[in-house]
Amino acid sequence: MKTFFKILLASSLALSSSAKEVKLLNVSYDPTRELYTEYNTAFAKYWKGKTGDDVKISQSHGGSGKQAQSVINGLEADVVTLALAYDIDAIAAQARTLPSDWQKRLPNNSTPYTSTIVFLVRKGNPQGIKDWNDLIKKDVKVVVPNPKTSGGARWAYLAAWAYAADKNNHDETAVREFIKKLYKNVPVLDSGARGSTVTFAQREIGDVLLAWENEAHLVLKEFGADKFEIVTPSLSVLAEPPVAVVDKQAKRHGTTEVAKEYLNYLYSEEGQEIAAKNFYRPRNEAIAKKYAANFSDVKLVTIDGEFGGWAKAQKTHFADGGTFDQVYQQ
Amino acid sequence: MKLKQTITLAATVAGMTSTAFAVEISDADFAALKKQLADLDQKVRILEREREIDTEAATTKSLTAPKLTLGANGFSFSSGDSNFVAQLHGVVQFDNRSFFNDGGTRGNDGFLIRRARPIFSGTIQRDFDYLFMPDFGGNTVQIQDAYLTYRYSPEFQLQAGKFKSPIGLEHLQADPNTLFNERSLATALVPNRDLGLALKGDLLNGVANYTVGVFNGAPDFSGSTTNLSFQDNKAIVGRVFFQPWKNSEVNALRGFGFGAAGSYENDRPATNAVTGLSSGFSTDGQQRFFAYNSGVVADGVHWRFSPQAYYYYGPLGLLAEYVVSDQKISKGVFAKDVQNTAWNITGSWLLTGEEASYGTVNPRHPFDPRNGQWGAFQIVARYASLDVDDGVFAGKIFADPTKSASGASAWSVGLNWYLNKNIRANASFSHTVFDGYTGGKPAVAAQDENVFFTRLQLAF
Repeated sequence: MKTFFKILLASSLALSSSAKEVKLLNVSYDPTRELYTEYNTAFAKYWKGKTGDDVKISQSHGGSGKQAQSVINGLEADVVTLALAYDIDAIAAQARTLPSDWQKRLPNNSTPYTSTIVFLVRKGNPQGIKDWNDLIKKDVKVVVPNPKTSGGARWAYLAAWAYAADKNNHDETAVREFIKKLYKNVPVLDSGARGSTVTFAQREIGDVLLAWENEAHLVLKEFGADKFEIVTPSLSVLAEPPVAVVDKQAKRHGTTEVAKEYLNYLYSEEGQEIAAKNFYRPRNEAIAKKYAANFSDVKLVTIDGEFGGWAKAQKTHFADGGTFDQVYQQ
Repeated sequence: MKLKQTITLAATVAGMTSTAFAVEISDADFAALKKQLADLDQKVRILEREREIDTEAATTKSLTAPKLTLGANGFSFSSGDSNFVAQLHGVVQFDNRSFFNDGGTRGNDGFLIRRARPIFSGTIQRDFDYLFMPDFGGNTVQIQDAYLTYRYSPEFQLQAGKFKSPIGLEHLQADPNTLFNERSLATALVPNRDLGLALKGDLLNGVANYTVGVFNGAPDFSGSTTNLSFQDNKAIVGRVFFQPWKNSEVNALRGFGFGAAGSYENDRPATNAVTGLSSGFSTDGQQRFFAYNSGVVADGVHWRFSPQAYYYYGPLGLLAEYVVSDQKISKGVFAKDVQNTAWNITGSWLLTGEEASYGTVNPRHPFDPRNGQWGAFQIVARYASLDVDDGVFAGKIFADPTKSASGASAWSVGLNWYLNKNIRANASFSHTVFDGYTGGKPAVAAQDENVFFTRLQLAF
């Protein structure tokens, strides 16, 4: 009988000390597939070394606004890595699954990397597109996703707005006219950035794609530099895609610790290096310097400085009846 | 130098000689044509892409659109995200009992609607499940189940309302899945439905299952249940069940499960009108062979303990349980601690090779005689015994041996025919012998009970 209990005890100890498999769901925006595929492998290795546990990370991608709405509607994300802070604010406000001050929990307002909006044109730049004002020419077809559903599209819209404001001494009538002409040249509105890339690169529609900088580089890498080229405009916007743990879901899944570390590790040297390799601008200065050749110098306006923050920008431009609706429906 | 572009167009007219002609156009015209072609190409591409986007949007929308399904598992209506679900299921059992050599006992033979239960169940706000099941079978309409379950996780679920008290293994098996028309003598010592609150869940991916709850405290099995409480004290009920190899690769062990359940309560009914005791113990033929004397009431600690196990491997199914129910009773100045015991072992074999299980049998070839398919056939056998504490008969204070037997043992055999997942027909024979009865005829325990059952069942 004693032997039986010894075996039972040994089995219990073996069971309790064996490695766990932890599952994590990262709900992200459209163009981050490649970034997080590489990062997840690196993080799983790091976590295994640190804790002995296996972590299996699932990714979900789509237009940032749509993804946020899915999380609000119950998609059980442990972490969200979206295109802009407003989308995570919406989750905090509507689903109440994370606190409203979530952005203070990680360095750099919880944005471990940044990006911007550039132009991707066909090789040889047949339409001679150099800056934003070339996009409103009659014969130019512009491909950009729908700002109602895509984070990248909202950044692109604001970059165009900032350029027009700069050129027209902030005369709103002139700026609206510029934006109106620009979106008149948009033949197809996809719901997300990846969809627009497909429209432009695979379906060969349009003359220029307004793209995330990382997405534009990815197209060059995937389709070949002999087919497309990147044009950096004179002014663009500093896009800060934020990350956050969805506290209530992580707690419910018992993944709070690994979810926090998953996001913290984005700031590590390895995390920053992976971001830079995938053409996201790293926060780490040394790594940014190492990969400086990948990123053009461009005058960048900020959402806070130019538009008074995301809450105001969302209400003014992208809410129902905002400037986008007004100019697009005319 | 002026360049000329030449375009040759050929036209062929059926049944006529081919005619070829050439035109010369200017650079400007050629460029204009080229641009026109490019513009048309773009328009076609845009239209195709818009169609593609519309299709993607429609697919996405279909994922969130409400879903309506009707099939073998009943009727279900759910929101696109499945956070709200309404389902309708049902069970109808049409039985016949024929008694042989019953010593002149009248009124036992005949057809009956054993169960007629619409089942309304579903989900609200993703994490809350509900179930409401009235029963229109028999002579009275009863609410069998009415409960709400909060699913925090597979490990932790909180259930409140009226539902099966988690003790008897055979009792916990869903009604449409029991192998015989009536449950065995062992079920006579476990509580039926009770009102209460229970925490339950599956641990280690279903390797262990637990339930612990607080209930009003139902007496030993009673066919008619109540929606009220007749006493202040509550019963603590718990059950653990293990299936150690449930997720293993070893097929022969995957269907093995074992566990134990128990209850404890300080049973003191408020009035003598409600005794707190079982109204009696019945045979497979639902004839009462034991009842306490009038005026006997529950009066103190009542505990039960039931070790239990099952084993399913291929077409083979085995289920066994033992129940001890220990209860203090009194009548006037007399008091006694009574310990009744019962057990049951049931075996089954699916002749047509389907997988046996604690749940539903799915015929490999559902009934379709036009195509030579006849459904699934299963033979079943059971032996069960119930022993009433002999002490209750002392001085005929608590029970009278001229009216009640002190024990019963029954063997049963049967054949179940599963026409498909929803319809089943079965026939069985039960033979019950009694112990300790000293009274005369006509009476249930005065002779062995021989009863032939048939059933036609619809469950969806």
